[in-house]
Amino acid sequence: MIEHSLGEFEELVLLMVAAHHDEAYGVLILENLEEKLGKKINISAIHVALKRMENKGFVKSRFGGITNERGGRRKKFYAITALGKRVLDNQYALRTSIYQQIPKISFS
Amino acid sequence: MKPSPPHRALKFLRWFCREDYIEEIEGDLTEVFEKQYEQSQTKARRKFTWSVIRYFRPEFIKSFKTSSSANSVAMFRHNFLLAFRQFKRYKGTFLINLVGLSSGLACALLIYLWVNDELNVDKFHEKDDRLYQVMQNFDRPNGVVTGDYTPALLAKALLSEIPEVENATLTNTIYQSNWAKGILSNKDNSINTKGILADSDYLNVFSYNLIQGDKDKVLADKNSIVISERLAKKMFNTSENIIGKALDWESEDLKKVFQVSGIFKNTPLNSTVAFDFILNYDILLDNNPESNEWYSDHAYTYLVLREGTDIRQFNDKIARFLSSKHPLRAKCTLFVQQYSKRYLHGKYENGKQVGDRIVYVRLFSIIALFILLIACINFMNLSSAQASRKMKEIGVKKAIGANRKALIIQFLSESILMSILSMMIAVLCVMLLLPQFNVITGKSLHFTLGTGDMLIMLSIVLFTGLVAGSYPAFYLSGFNPTSVLKGKPNSSLREQWVRKGLVIFQFSLSTIFIVCFLVISKQIELTQTKNLGYDQDNIISFQRHGALDVDDFEVFLSEVKNTPGVVSASNMSGNIIKQINLNVGYSWEGSTREDAEITFPSPEVNYAFIETLGIALKEGRSFSPEYSNETSKLVINEVAAKMIGFKDPIGRYVKRGSQEMQIIGVVKNFHYTSFHEIIKPVFFRFDPIGKTVLVKIKAGTERATIEHLKEIYEKFHPKNPFEFTFLDDDYQSLYEAENRVAILSKYFTIIAIIISCLGLFGLAAFTAERRTKEIGIRKILGASVFGIVRILTSDFTKTIVIAIFISLPISYFLAKNWLDNFAYRIDLQWWLFIGTGLMTLLIAWLTVGIQTIKAARINPTECLKDE
Repeated sequence: MIEHSLGEFEELVLLMVAAHHDEAYGVLILENLEEKLGKKINISAIHVALKRMENKGFVKSRFGGITNERGGRRKKFYAITALGKRVLDNQYALRTSIYQQIPKISFS
Repeated sequence: MKPSPPHRALKFLRWFCREDYIEEIEGDLTEVFEKQYEQSQTKARRKFTWSVIRYFRPEFIKSFKTSSSANSVAMFRHNFLLAFRQFKRYKGTFLINLVGLSSGLACALLIYLWVNDELNVDKFHEKDDRLYQVMQNFDRPNGVVTGDYTPALLAKALLSEIPEVENATLTNTIYQSNWAKGILSNKDNSINTKGILADSDYLNVFSYNLIQGDKDKVLADKNSIVISERLAKKMFNTSENIIGKALDWESEDLKKVFQVSGIFKNTPLNSTVAFDFILNYDILLDNNPESNEWYSDHAYTYLVLREGTDIRQFNDKIARFLSSKHPLRAKCTLFVQQYSKRYLHGKYENGKQVGDRIVYVRLFSIIALFILLIACINFMNLSSAQASRKMKEIGVKKAIGANRKALIIQFLSESILMSILSMMIAVLCVMLLLPQFNVITGKSLHFTLGTGDMLIMLSIVLFTGLVAGSYPAFYLSGFNPTSVLKGKPNSSLREQWVRKGLVIFQFSLSTIFIVCFLVISKQIELTQTKNLGYDQDNIISFQRHGALDVDDFEVFLSEVKNTPGVVSASNMSGNIIKQINLNVGYSWEGSTREDAEITFPSPEVNYAFIETLGIALKEGRSFSPEYSNETSKLVINEVAAKMIGFKDPIGRYVKRGSQEMQIIGVVKNFHYTSFHEIIKPVFFRFDPIGKTVLVKIKAGTERATIEHLKEIYEKFHPKNPFEFTFLDDDYQSLYEAENRVAILSKYFTIIAIIISCLGLFGLAAFTAERRTKEIGIRKILGASVFGIVRILTSDFTKTIVIAIFISLPISYFLAKNWLDNFAYRIDLQWWLFIGTGLMTLLIAWLTVGIQTIKAARINPTECLKDE
């Protein structure tokens, strides 16, 4: 499943897109991720991830309306696709199943 | 007021970023920027720029391949078609452009051929970059004199003493050229020919390639002669199997039998020296022992320096070389000059390199460039003026999505197409004109369509096309489609000024050309018409040859004098026009030690010389057989009299070395050389053995008299052909370069004017066409034809007047500069400039006038009915 591979950062972005269904766009994702991760991220990293995932068919996008904000530029909103959701679910299931194999020992 | 992100970074982003991503990315970046801006301005800006740079990666960079190849072929065909339609529709403009550009290109091409030929003279030697000629500076009281003649011993001495010298050779100088001028004969043929004397390394230093023989050996001994292929064909009718054959040599100084030891290829046309045979230099040394001394200059010395030799250091090293060899050489400094540079940069004045031929090479290159520019300007002006015709096309194209680049390409391809067409015509013209051009320039240029020429032509075409198309391309493609399609004529003040500026430039150049041409031809006229102080009409001069002794010569001369039709005859040493013998070592009462080092032109003349040339005697007498011991007498010119400073010079004495010489006469000043030089003090000495015979012939009897002279000459000089020149022709040849420049500048001036006028004509026609409605209305309201002509021409008049005012000071400066080359020159009078100005204006009016009168006479109903 090469084409359905998902990098760590991509996964984070995809989760964000899914969380803010149809309302997610570059800056929003950036800010939420920065808040959750507690570190600075460059906007270009978000765009790279989004474009890659769009190419793989995990997300789809649409343009918003024209406003006077952002120098008159339209926002591009992203939504997760069915495939994207499935990949996310698979990833989650995989991790949980492995996680559950961890023996119940104290890791102090 | 919203803060705006860094302008340059944004521009960069927009330039490289994919179109389908740019909106999102720019928007997001701006949003981030605006949020950060509230905290820190500088940080926000820095962050923005940094982010932009982070986007500069393959995923986000757009593909710069604008269109696929199929599309570009289609676009090419489309542009081609449009250009052709344009040409067909506006035939007048097309013709003006074509004629202008092709004559400009033809000029440029001719000049390129000439310049290229000049630059390649003497460059064919294999060791060209290391081949140097030794030059000599003489420190004289009236300045440093530079000469290329050196002692014959120098070559060997330099080779053995200076390690940087890899090889050295010598040849005879022009002053010893009679050693290699004479008659070669075998049993079949006898030919009067000219060669050089050189030492055995000559063919190793210079690349005159041998067809037969070993270049190390052919000049090894004194009995050998190396002949050219051409001479071999003439003497033996073949160039095969003639090594070792004998040739009889007879010249003034030498009779000898030589064996052919080798054959060389004919000296190439781009070689400054041309010769038909080479003899061993030792012949000269044996027969003229003086030439083997350090104090006498009998040779040109050429060196091949080792690779990597620093010329400045080398010159320092050899500077005192000669002065260390002989006390008489104390004031001589040696230096070297690259051999192939001698042709273009051969002139020295006071020890410094000055102009020479390179000046003309530069001059004509500049002229070519300017003529081409004038032609390009026509194209620029006409196509930008006709912008209104193209506006709709541009508007529609832009509206349906043509980008600016496509339009620029369209206009440039139109202009390049134009210049390709013009180049074809220009090539035809050049082929037709080349023989004529060769006559004027005295060259034998060929126009071959080889790769070299093709490349140059291609680059000229591209250059012309790009320059001519640049302004319309960038100007027209910048139109705003909405305003164009709305029908608002886009004729800004700036645009009109650019057009006027270009016309000003054209006409300034034309005016400068006219002034320069007039000044050159006036100066040439001066050299033709000014009283030279002697009479050169109907005088022929020829050389006496062979070993004719003094008594025989006297008989010969008296026979010449008695020939019917001969007015008088005399002879002299040297040549009155080209080369008068120079002497040093004169002293007189009150002269200083330094005066003894001044070189005086001092020709040795026979009786009746002054009378034959018609030089006016101011006081005293000239040499005459009625007096005895004339060899110790002197006739001087006015300048000399003034220099010596005697109040009454007749009968006083001047010393030459230890010999007392009495002044018997003073002649008025006369111009013995060209007007480039001032008249120097001349001392005429008496000696009847001079080799140049001058014969004054009665006007109208030239043909018969020359026939008679020929008979007498051949009686006394069997084998020698009678070769004579007219003195006035010799005089003309002094101004060969100037005459050529005069003729060429005439043609180039005419072409420049024609091209400029064509442009103006086109512009006037266009303006008149644009303003027909205005003219119609004006006429209906009662304007006269004259009034309308005035309105239409006043604009052009202003432009031309500005051009004239700009160009006159420049041309004054140029003309003055050129005239400074002459010691005797015309005065630059004001009317010459005013006249040229008026002439330019008149030409411009005539050009514009035809169009405007036609426009002004139009019937107003004609032009107003269709609206």
